[in-house]
Order: sequence, then C-alpha cells, then structure tokens
Amino acid sequence: MELHIKEISVGELLSEAKAFSEGGKHPLTAMFGRDERSAGGSFAVYAVFEFPESRELRGLKAAVGESMSFPSLSHLIPAASWFEREIQDMFGLKAENHPDPRPLVLHENFPQGVHPLRKDAPKEIEFIRGKHTHMHTVSGEGTFQVPVGPIHAGIIEPGHFRFSQAGESMLQLDAKLFYTHRGLEKTMEGKTALEALPIVERICGACTAANTWSYCQAVETASGTAVTRRAEILRTLVLEIERITNHVGDLGNIPAGVGFSFAVSIGTRAKEMMMRLQDSLTGNRFLRGFFVPGGTARDFAAEDCAQAAEVLREVEKNVLDLERIFAQQDGFQDRVRTTGIVRNKTARDLAMVGVGARASGYAHDSRADFGYGVYPELSLKVVTENSGDVAARILVRIGELKESFRLAFALLEMLEREHGEHRTELGMPRGEAAGLSESARGSSFCYVAFDEEGRLDRIFVRSASYANWPALPIAVQGDIIPDFPLINKSFELCYACLDR
Amino acid sequence: MMNEIGFLLGVKLLQILPLLLLAPLVAGIINKVKAILQKRQGASIFQEYFDLYKWWRRETILTPYTSYIFILAPVLYLLTSLMGAAMVGYLDGSFAMGDAFIFVCILALGRFFMTLGSMDSATAFGGMGSSREIYISVLVEPAVMLAVLLNASRYGSTTLSRMAIDYGHIYFTLPTVLACVAFFLIMLAENCRLPVDNPDTHLELTMIHECMTLEYSGRLLSYIHLGSMIRLVVFLVLWGNLYLPLAIPLAVKVLLGALLIGLIETLVNKMRLFKVRIYLSAAVVLLMVAFMAEAW
Repeated sequence: MELHIKEISVGELLSEAKAFSEGGKHPLTAMFGRDERSAGGSFAVYAVFEFPESRELRGLKAAVGESMSFPSLSHLIPAASWFEREIQDMFGLKAENHPDPRPLVLHENFPQGVHPLRKDAPKEIEFIRGKHTHMHTVSGEGTFQVPVGPIHAGIIEPGHFRFSQAGESMLQLDAKLFYTHRGLEKTMEGKTALEALPIVERICGACTAANTWSYCQAVETASGTAVTRRAEILRTLVLEIERITNHVGDLGNIPAGVGFSFAVSIGTRAKEMMMRLQDSLTGNRFLRGFFVPGGTARDFAAEDCAQAAEVLREVEKNVLDLERIFAQQDGFQDRVRTTGIVRNKTARDLAMVGVGARASGYAHDSRADFGYGVYPELSLKVVTENSGDVAARILVRIGELKESFRLAFALLEMLEREHGEHRTELGMPRGEAAGLSESARGSSFCYVAFDEEGRLDRIFVRSASYANWPALPIAVQGDIIPDFPLINKSFELCYACLDR
Repeated sequence: MMNEIGFLLGVKLLQILPLLLLAPLVAGIINKVKAILQKRQGASIFQEYFDLYKWWRRETILTPYTSYIFILAPVLYLLTSLMGAAMVGYLDGSFAMGDAFIFVCILALGRFFMTLGSMDSATAFGGMGSSREIYISVLVEPAVMLAVLLNASRYGSTTLSRMAIDYGHIYFTLPTVLACVAFFLIMLAENCRLPVDNPDTHLELTMIHECMTLEYSGRLLSYIHLGSMIRLVVFLVLWGNLYLPLAIPLAVKVLLGALLIGLIETLVNKMRLFKVRIYLSAAVVLLMVAFMAEAW
C-alpha cells in the first residue's frame, strides 16, 4: 500500500495533524519514531492517518531538531497517547504536554537514558532495580486497590491490572503491560525482507496471517512487485480462515468468563478443528510460513479445497448452534447485556479497530475501507452493532463469522476457476511503504523503510490489540469487578502484540 | 453412663467415616458427569483423592503477615464439616441426635472462621472472598432456617433424625415437592456451586469460595477442600433424607443429587453477583408457599 508522506517541521505537527484528522474523520493509524542520524538527518516522528474515501494512507513526518521533543497530539487525538509514550521510551524524544507521560514500554528495571531504537543504543544492557512505575489509583474513605498480575492463574501472558475499588464497583482501572518486550523491531533492522519474515510471523500467534499480509503488502509496494491473482485469492481465503479460527475460539472463550462450560466446549472444539485445517492447508497450525512477499509459499490443490469446504461447513453448524444457545440462555444474556459498554464517541476518539470498534457502531474495517486482496469483488458486508456492550461484541463476531463463511465458500469457488502462479519474484525493496490488513481483532498496520541495499532500516508494526487496549479501562467503568474477566474476554486483547 | 457415651461416640465415628471417605468420590462423580455432558473425557472419578493426597504432601507456605487464625481456620472448617457429618443421621435415626439449629450454627461457625482466615492474609483477594462469602451466607442462612422450620413444624421436633423418619405418604405432596426444590437451590448457594459460584474457574476476580482459598497451600489447602467436599455430601444426605422417600437407598439419593448438580453446572452460567439475592429469594418464596400449603 502506498504511503504518502508529507514532510513538515516539528512545529507544524499539531496544526497539520489537526488538518489531517479533520475532527476524527480520518483515524490515526499509528505514530512512530525513526532515527535517521546516520544518513545525515535527525530523529523523525511519523503520524499516519487513514483516508478511506481515497483508499490511501497519508503520513506526516516531522524532523525533530535539537530540542529532542515534539508537541503531543494526545489532547487533540486521544488515540495518540500510547504511541507518543512509546516514542518517548524507545527514542528518548519528549512528547511535550503529554497528559500521561509515564513510561509505557520500558519498565522500571530498564536503565535510564537507554533508548533501544536509537541506532547507537548499546547492544547489551544491565537491568536495574528501579522505583516502580506509578499506577493511577483512587483514594478516599472506603476505597481500596486490587492488584492483579502480572502473573495470572490461567495460561496467559503477563500484565498488571490495578483496580481502584469501592466495594465491588470498579472506580478506575490502570493497566501496566509490555512486560515481555522482545525488541523484535530492533532485531529486524539490518535484515532483508525475507530474513525478517519469520520474525513478523511470530509477533502474535493469533493474527499471523493479518500481520504477515500487511508486512508483505509493504514490502511488495517498496519493491514494486505485483502479486498474481491466484495468490491474492489464496491470501484472502487464508485470512478469512484465520478470522473464523479466532472468532469461534473467542465465542468459546467469552462464556468461560461466566462459567458457561457447555458453550466453552463447543467453541474450543470448533477452534481445534479450524487449527487442524490450518495445519493441513498451510503446514502450520498458526499459519506461519504461508505468506511470503511476492505471493504465497504454497498452493492449494483441489483436495485441499474440498477438505476446507467440509471442515468449514461443520464449523458453520457449530457457530449456528452457539448463536441459538446464546440467544436462548436468559442467564447468559443477562450477564452480557449492558456489561462493559464502549460508547461510539469513545471508539472514535481512541481510533479503535475491529470488533471493538464495530460493536460500538463504528464501521472501521480495513477490508472494506482499503479493498486489498480480492475483497472488492466480494461485496463485503461490514457487521456493526450499536450497544457497545459484551453482547454487541458477541453479535458482531457471530455476524462476521457468517459473512466469513460466505466469503470463504466464494473464494474456494474462485480458486477453482483461477489457475496460475501463486508466487512471483520479489524485486529489490527501496524506500518506505506501508501495509494494512484486517485481522480478527482489527486492522494490523505495518510500516517498513529499506536502505539502499534492500535491508530494513526501520519496521514498525501496530497490530489490532495495540489500538484497542486503551479502551478496556474505559469499558469497565461502572461495572463490578466480577464482571471484569467477561469484559476483558469480549475484547480478547493480545499481550504479545504489544510485546514486539 | 460412660458406656453410653462411648457407644454414642462409636456410632458417631461410624457415621463420620463413610462420609469422610466417600466425599471426594462424590466430588469426582460430579466432575465426571460434567465432563461427559460437555463431551470431554474428564478426569477419573478418583481424581479428588489424588489431589487431596498431593496437597497433603506439599509444603504449606505462610506469608509473614498471617497470625494463628490463618492456620486455625482450615482446621476448624474441616472439623465443623465433620461435626455436620456426625449430625445428619443416616445410619439409624434413633442414634443420631443432631438438632437442626445446632447443625446450621456449626456449619456457620466453620464458614465464619474461613472468612476470618482468608482476611488474615491481608490480600485483596482474601478480603474480597470474605466479603462475598458473608454476603452469600447472610442470604443463605435464613433460607436454610426456613427449610428446617418447615420440617420442624411438620414433625414437632427440630432433631434432624426425627425429621428423617419416613412418613411414606407425604413425599408427593405440594409442600414437600416445593421444599425439595427450594432446598436444592439453597444447597447450590451454600456449597458455592453454579449458578452462584463457579468451583471450576481460575478467574480469581469472579470467585467467592475459591477466592478465600487462594493464599492457602499444602496441607491447609487439603483441609479446606476436604471440608468443602464433606459439606456438599452432608447437604446431599440431608436433602435426600428430608425430602425424598426413605425407601430409596441413601447412596442412590446422593448420587441423584450429584447427577443433578453436574447437569445444572453444564446448563447454566454464573449469575451476576448482586442477583444472587433474587435467586435466593426465589428459594425463600418457594418455602413460604410450602408453609402455606402445609397449613392449609
């Protein structure tokens, strides 16, 4: 996908961003920093906006001068908050006037003054024992705090949640995440597009196809490689299969928050069927190794397609069962309705993506907005709900599953008619480009910048969970703490997507 | 006199032992029923014995902030459960002399100490668990009392064993059927089963009873779990004795109760915490209607 960059000075950032955003009409996709000092430049701050009406991504690039700071956009665009905090941590550039300038990615054990994404950052660092990051809490008579994590009872990733309580009511939630930062973006610097590919695939186990596809889009744009139609159909099909896998898994996981074990069983079994299908189609349960810049690593034979259709029909039955069970179970409806509400305004302000956005009536969907792959031919229906509660997020998933089954069957038919190569030679990537692809959780954005030798100078990946995490503390307000697991599961946010 | 006391103690011991030994089996059966209904293979019905043995052998870790209450609580919890087992009277009505009010009070005593013990660790979860447990018990205990009074008014005695004497013809009358259903609802709440509490969850924020056990480990944890299992069986025995015909063997009645619990825990989900009072008022209303039907 083409990325149109407008170079500005740091002083203009605020006014230009305001003009680009047009009062939230164009959501902020990402902000990230770049160290261009070795090429005679300086540090730069990028802000990328989506322009769905013209199907393009437009970016602002502000060169940061001697002051090593840039004006914070968070007051204007709340979605900028996390990105700016990350730039502060990773590049040591100060976001002036930021409403919440606490460190985000680097915790107290990281030595002061070391900013990993600077090109001259030391390779080895020694972790320290620092003062704990301040957590936002509420104080007053009768209030207390409930600390949860970073180590949890279930087999999930680390994250610390600090609840400020008055009895069972949650007054405030502050989350400390990014515990297992892996330095993937740093690791990929200096690698070729193909060398970096396995790393991109491993950012997240649930959104492999979406993350990798947006990376492939970026690399293909940067190298001017055209992908064959067969490859586009295969990619679209696999992305929908990944969406089905995630959505049925989520439909099985959400009832676990209310101890509804029968639904959990159905969802878990259906998800396993999908993962086995993924394994037999692509050679990996997590779809790793399928997407390659220039096309796909494998092609599907007719038997593969027949098997896929069979499994999909079986899973579709399970989904319809779940839909019926959810609708009939009054006790379940009582739990999910009016729980964990995200208002439409909140979703837009935070530039939420995916199911989280669409359940609040915000029809944000990269498949429809940017029409990559063969989506324009499929007349995709974007499923939205307006209530913004857990029930809405369940309904959106069910609606999207039905749509994904329809797309998958249509794509399987298209594969029968379309014969041709599934992979083309990848040219030498140069310059910068971006990619955008819709995972089950929302859009996954990837920015790449290559040097003269075709090696990555900077890669930035913002997967869907990054955009939706900040909505969780807002969604829980006004609910009671025993409802938190349910609300949390209804977003199904990923920690690994943050720990890049 | 001494002989008499010795004899009574012997009988009590005989009463306690089978419940003590079989309680984990009942818990295992419930889990197996749930697994089968959820199309899972599930663990062996003897799994709870292995778990208890595992906890029994393991080291107990105490935080430096705990006092003697923390250690005392699980022991008292187990002991009161055993006392409850001694009082339900299933061997022979004439020897078991449990008074219904004392029975309820003894179980409440165990629960009281558990809530103290869990608060003693001064963790957020311990306090949360205690608060919720008390909230539930405040609602449950009047309902239990009402159920007991219904039987007391019928038999003219508050002795549990007297109540269990078969009156053949009364089992299929309206008051008995209503009370049977109501007592089962109360039992689910009292023993922290779905839809009030979820015994299987790892989600600490949603827990009630399990929340109180989070700080416990090793042998103390095995006491709590064994105590809970015995309590459940004690209630199942009481339910079977009071509301199902005496002609049915007790083991069958307990098994039936276990099957029902397994079925319910598969079919329903946990209700909102603050709606538990509505659930328990339903049980109380059923009992009131039973009272009216009885008087009429």
